[in-house]
Amino acid sequence: MTDVVDPSSPDPASTQPASTQPASTQPASSRAGTGHAITTPGVDFHDRTANAVANPVLQQALHNLDRRLRTAGTAAAAHPEWKDRAAAIRRETLLDLDGWLDRLDRTLTARGVHVHRASTPEDARRIIVDLARACGARTVVKSKSMATEEIDLGNALEDAGLTSVETDLGEYIVQLAGERPSHMITPAIHKTLPQIRDVLAREAGTDLAVDREALTAWARERLRGEFLRADIGITGVNFAAADTGTLVLVTNEGNGRFCTTLPRVHIAVMPVEKVIPRLADVGFLLPLLTTHATGQALSNYVTMISGPRRAGETDGPDELHVVFLDNRRRTLLGTKYEEMLACIRCGACLNVCPVYRNVSGHAYDSVYSGPMGKVLTPLLSGGAEGADLPYGSTLCHACSDACPVKIPLGDMILALRADVPDAHTSERRRRRLFWSLFARAWSTPRGYRITTALGRVSRGRVPGLRAWTATRELPRPAREPFRDRWAKEHPGERP
Amino acid sequence: MTNSGTDPITDPFTDAPIDSLLETLIGSLRANTCAVSGPMSAEEARAAIVERASLHTLVACNGDVPIPGMVDALVARGLEVLACDDPGWSTRLADAGVGITGARLAVVHPAAIALAAAPGSPRATSLVPPEHICVLRVADIIPTLAEAMLSIAAGEMPSALTWIGGPSRTGDLEMITTLGVHGPRAVEVLLIA
Repeated sequence: MTDVVDPSSPDPASTQPASTQPASTQPASSRAGTGHAITTPGVDFHDRTANAVANPVLQQALHNLDRRLRTAGTAAAAHPEWKDRAAAIRRETLLDLDGWLDRLDRTLTARGVHVHRASTPEDARRIIVDLARACGARTVVKSKSMATEEIDLGNALEDAGLTSVETDLGEYIVQLAGERPSHMITPAIHKTLPQIRDVLAREAGTDLAVDREALTAWARERLRGEFLRADIGITGVNFAAADTGTLVLVTNEGNGRFCTTLPRVHIAVMPVEKVIPRLADVGFLLPLLTTHATGQALSNYVTMISGPRRAGETDGPDELHVVFLDNRRRTLLGTKYEEMLACIRCGACLNVCPVYRNVSGHAYDSVYSGPMGKVLTPLLSGGAEGADLPYGSTLCHACSDACPVKIPLGDMILALRADVPDAHTSERRRRRLFWSLFARAWSTPRGYRITTALGRVSRGRVPGLRAWTATRELPRPAREPFRDRWAKEHPGERP
Repeated sequence: MTNSGTDPITDPFTDAPIDSLLETLIGSLRANTCAVSGPMSAEEARAAIVERASLHTLVACNGDVPIPGMVDALVARGLEVLACDDPGWSTRLADAGVGITGARLAVVHPAAIALAAAPGSPRATSLVPPEHICVLRVADIIPTLAEAMLSIAAGEMPSALTWIGGPSRTGDLEMITTLGVHGPRAVEVLLIA
């Protein structure tokens, strides 16, 4: 957790007061790195959201999401028919994911790219650490990538004795603060400018102005040195075209370009579902991704990489490695959750989600947050993590409507409540019992009279259902039922 | 509604006349904080670039700039042009005031210019110096990205094809745009007829 620099402005990332989070659940808390263990035992989603809502500085920072929502919303609405096209391309890929992966493997290999396959995060970390050791690397520069967050690569590299530097400005801020990204597109959305200044000034060892230009200029200077020094650049992949063997990377800052241009070795971590059949498909997928992610018709930089530096070229890496990361994704094929693999990680579902907009990413306590995180986290962990996340939803389906590739996120969230066993199971059983008793009681006038009389006495509280009634109000029964008033005013008559 | 990835989508921009395409491209690039001038002749472009570069002492210039005698004109003005085979290329490039490149093509919808890496045309020229001047031939403008990708994918892919829509920017500080975070703060596009 971050040091709180100014006691009057508590860090919004610290959404969990120390009292609710045992110290033992925070590995690596003393060092700046990319994240910690995914789950926080003993603290449930409900408590974390309550803490987030009660944090005034976080709430202030989250108002900035409105800017994104306005621009991204309007730009994305311009191409409704592109959604159909993109959704079709993604589903076509999933119909034969292994086939497209094999084809991509062949085209990449033909271009002199080294392809590695990792079925677990451990495999991926080991492959990358071994590569780093083999080339005698000391410093690694990283471009923002959810896949490397998923495998907690930054910490693995640091544990192996390497220096790993995040180079996306937001991700760099989050790394320096010893936190994790709270939004997949804008990792430091939970921080206000004065808080960002505090983080950067601590690293600089000097005072910095609370000024966007000055802070950006400082980071540019500092990270420029890291780019020049680095032995390895590590990136994710936005799309990988099977027909041409081309990796597509989307950035705005240019850090992705630096990572794939200056270091001698480039390693790209590619979750298996990033493959697309044809490079020409990015003609539709790219604008759809960027309009939904940031509201830009296209991001300011898109890099299409087809192999390492060629003979006679001045720059570009000598070695290019691609790590295909499975991590249970292929087990979703053929299940009702298969379509989740169509996700292109634009963040649109986060931006529109009434829950995310109030609590931000850290409350989810998982790498992926928002509606897509509620679905992906339990699925990628086989139900071991994030089992309570599907309950943190209003089921308003705003996420399903916002999704550029038409993933029925709302339906999946609901289905996961039934499919993932979790702490709510006993509560659900109690609820089922209550409703069956209720149905039986209200089927007879006598049962109705007794239960409404009980309701008047208990004032809407139902023993054993506290978790359910805590967030819902039962209607208060009238002080005197109509039946009794009628009997009083019309003695002897039936109503 | 088309549902196959290979069917063409009819795009209202595809058949637009070149004048209106050019106007749209210039408008979109300017809206994304690029400076745009032209269309002009190669001679005019050469003179304009020399004038701009003369504010600096060291410049980088890619071999794909479609202007005859570009490097000679810069040297004649007394500028040092960083050679691609300079052993200290990437570190010295950081001292260059401007990087000058050509472009393989540009797309109008969405507005972006594509640069292909090749011998004599390094990737970093358009990345490391604080200013990037890009020379684009009007004949290389294509209406849509979808169309451009079809033709690019059909040919031999360069080791790196970089699409540039504007200066380096970030929205990470409270979601307000800040320019020049890693790459160039200024991008100027010179159109030649």
